[in-house]
Amino acid sequence: MTAILTLDTVSKRFGGLVAVDQVSFSVPDGAIYSVIGPNGAGKTTLFNLISALFRPSEGAITFDGHRIEQARTHQLAGFGIGRTFQNLAIFSHSTVVENLLVGLHHRLKANLLTSALFWGPARREEVAARRKVEEIIDFLEIQHLRDTPVGLLSYGLQKRVELGRALATEPRLLLLDEMVSGMNSEETEDIARFILDLREAFGTTVVMVEHDMGIVMDISDRIAVLNHGALIAEGTPAEISGNQAVLEAYLGKA
Amino acid sequence: MRTHHFVETYERHLALSDNPVTWSWTGALLVGLVVLPFLVGGYALSIAIAIGIAVVGAIGLNLLTGVTGLISLGQAGFLAAGCYTTALLIDDYGWSTEPALLAAGVMSALLSLLVGIPSLRLKGLYLAITTMAFSFIVTHFLLYAESITHGPYGVRIEDLDFLGLDLGSARQLYYLVLAIALITTLAALNILRTRIGRAFMAVRDHDVAARVMGISLTRYKLFAFVTSSFIVGIAGGLMAFQFRFINVDIFTVLLSVEALAMIIVGGLGSVAGAILGAAFIVLLPEITRSLLDFLPAAAAEALSIHIFEIRGLLTGLAIIVMLRIEPHGLIGLWRQTKRYWTGWPLSV
Ligand SMILES: Nc1ncnc2c1ncn2[C@@H]1O[C@H](COP(=O)(O)OP(=O)(O)O)[C@@H](O)[C@H]1O
Ligand SMILES: [Mg+2]
Repeated sequence: MTAILTLDTVSKRFGGLVAVDQVSFSVPDGAIYSVIGPNGAGKTTLFNLISALFRPSEGAITFDGHRIEQARTHQLAGFGIGRTFQNLAIFSHSTVVENLLVGLHHRLKANLLTSALFWGPARREEVAARRKVEEIIDFLEIQHLRDTPVGLLSYGLQKRVELGRALATEPRLLLLDEMVSGMNSEETEDIARFILDLREAFGTTVVMVEHDMGIVMDISDRIAVLNHGALIAEGTPAEISGNQAVLEAYLGKA
Repeated sequence: MRTHHFVETYERHLALSDNPVTWSWTGALLVGLVVLPFLVGGYALSIAIAIGIAVVGAIGLNLLTGVTGLISLGQAGFLAAGCYTTALLIDDYGWSTEPALLAAGVMSALLSLLVGIPSLRLKGLYLAITTMAFSFIVTHFLLYAESITHGPYGVRIEDLDFLGLDLGSARQLYYLVLAIALITTLAALNILRTRIGRAFMAVRDHDVAARVMGISLTRYKLFAFVTSSFIVGIAGGLMAFQFRFINVDIFTVLLSVEALAMIIVGGLGSVAGAILGAAFIVLLPEITRSLLDFLPAAAAEALSIHIFEIRGLLTGLAIIVMLRIEPHGLIGLWRQTKRYWTGWPLSV
C-alpha cells in the first residue's frame, strides 16, 4: 500500500527541550494509525507539526506526494488534512450547524460582495452546504442538536461536533488528538464505530493519539510509540503489545 | 432512522427568518418608519435621522468588534474620514453627492488597511489603543492639513441633491438615511449567514481552529476591517449631509465610546442588537432632557450646563447596567422576554 503521510527525521525543539526527536514513520493510505506514549511524549506537538501549526526544527513531512512542512496552516484543509484538538476547539457561541458549516469554508466560493447580496451562486452554494451538513449530522446522529449553541452541550457531544466539523472539510487524512479521553465507554464505542464507518465509506485515513488502549488495540492497523519525543517502536498492534521496549517505557509505567 | 430533507427545507433554513410573526412585525415596523415623517415634527425627525446614521455606523462597528472580536476605539476616526471625504469632495472638488458618499466608504476602507495591516497580531486592549491612536491621527490631520481640510474652519456644504432627493428637506434626507440603513442591515445579515460571516465568528471564537478550517487570519481580519470601515465611512458621509457644516470637534473619543456602547448595550454580534443599541444611545440624552423638565427649574438649569458630562456618564452607566443585568444586551433581553411569553403560563 502507498503511504499518504510520511515523516522523515522530523524534530521540534522548544529552546533546550526536544519535544519531537528525529521521528520517521509512514502512514499507509486508508489506514487507521495510532500514536501512543506517556504524557509529554510529544504526540500533540507531532500533530501540530503535521497540521502546520508549528514548523519542524528539522526533517520533512510529505502528504500525498507534496512537502507540507513549510505550508501555511490555513492551506491544510484545502490539501485534505483535517483535525480535532486535545483540548476542545469548538466555536462555542455558534450552533452545531454553524460549526459544521465553518468546516466547509474552504469549499465555498462566495466573496464579500456576493455574500452581502446573497444572490445567485452564493445562495446556491449555501443550499448545497446545508445539504452536506445534514449528511454529517445524520452520520453522527445529532439531528436533535442542530440548532443548539455548542457551548451548551456535554463534553462528549462537543467532541462529536468537533469531529463533525473536521469531517465537513472532507479530509483524506484525519488527525484525532485524544478524541475519547473523558468519554464514557458508550461514547467511546460510538467514536470507534464512526472511525471505522468513515474509512469504509470515504476511504479516510485516520491518525489518532489515544490513551485508551482498548480502542487503540481494537481498531488500529499500525501503532507508533513515542517516548521523550523519540519513536521507540512502530508496528501492528500484535507487534507493539509484545514489544519489550514499549512494555518497559510505557505500558510498564502506566 | 434517517430523516428526509427536501431542498425546500434547506431553502427555508437559509431564510433570514421562517417565522411569519417575525415577518409581520418587520413589515409593520417598516410601514411605521415610512410614515413617520408625516407623524412627527422637525425636531423628532432630526433625531430619527441621527438614529438612522448611528444604526449604519453601529452595524459597521459590530462587524469588526462584535462579530470578529477586534475591539476598535477608532470609530470616530473612520466616521471623520468618511464625513470629510464627502464634504470636501462636494465643496472643493465639485463632485456630486452620490459618488462623494461612495468615496466616503472607500476612503475609510482604505484607511482601515493602514491600521489593520500593522495591527494584525494585536488583540484586545492593544488593538483598542492602536485604533484610538489612529483616530487621533485622523483628527490631528484634519485640524492641521489646512490647505486640504480647511483645518479649524470646518467645511460647509449646501443645496444637496441625491438621486433626485432634495437633502435640504429633512423629510427627504430621512428617506435617504432610512434606505441606506435598510440596505446596510440586509447586507450585514447576508454576510453573517454566509462563509464570510462564519469565518469572522470563527476568528473571534477560536483562531487556531479557524486556521485549521482553512481560514486565513490575515485575510479575514483585513476583510473585517475593510467591510466595517466601508460601512462606517458611509455613515460619516451621511453625517456630512445632515450637519451641512462639519468640524473636527464632532469626532471625539466620546463618539467612539458611544459607538461601542451601542453594540454592547444592544448585544455584541447581533445586527438587530446594533440597531436597538444605536436607537437607545441616541435617545438617551433626549430622555434625560425630558426628565430634567420634571426637576425644579433651578436644579434643571444647573444640570443642563453639564449636559455633555451627563451624557458621558449616562453612556457609561448604560454599559455597566447592561453588562450587569444582561450580557447579551437589549437583544438578549428581548429574546428572554419572548421565551418567557412563548412559554407562558408554564414559565411563570
Ligand atoms: N508551544 C510549546 N512551547 C514550549 N514547549 C512545548 C510547547 N508545546 C509542547 N511543549 C512541550 O513539549 C513536550 C511535549 O508535549 P506534547 O506534545 O503536548 O505531549 P503529549 O501530547 O504527548 O502529551 C512537553 O514537554 C511540552 O511541555
Ligand atoms: Mg497531547
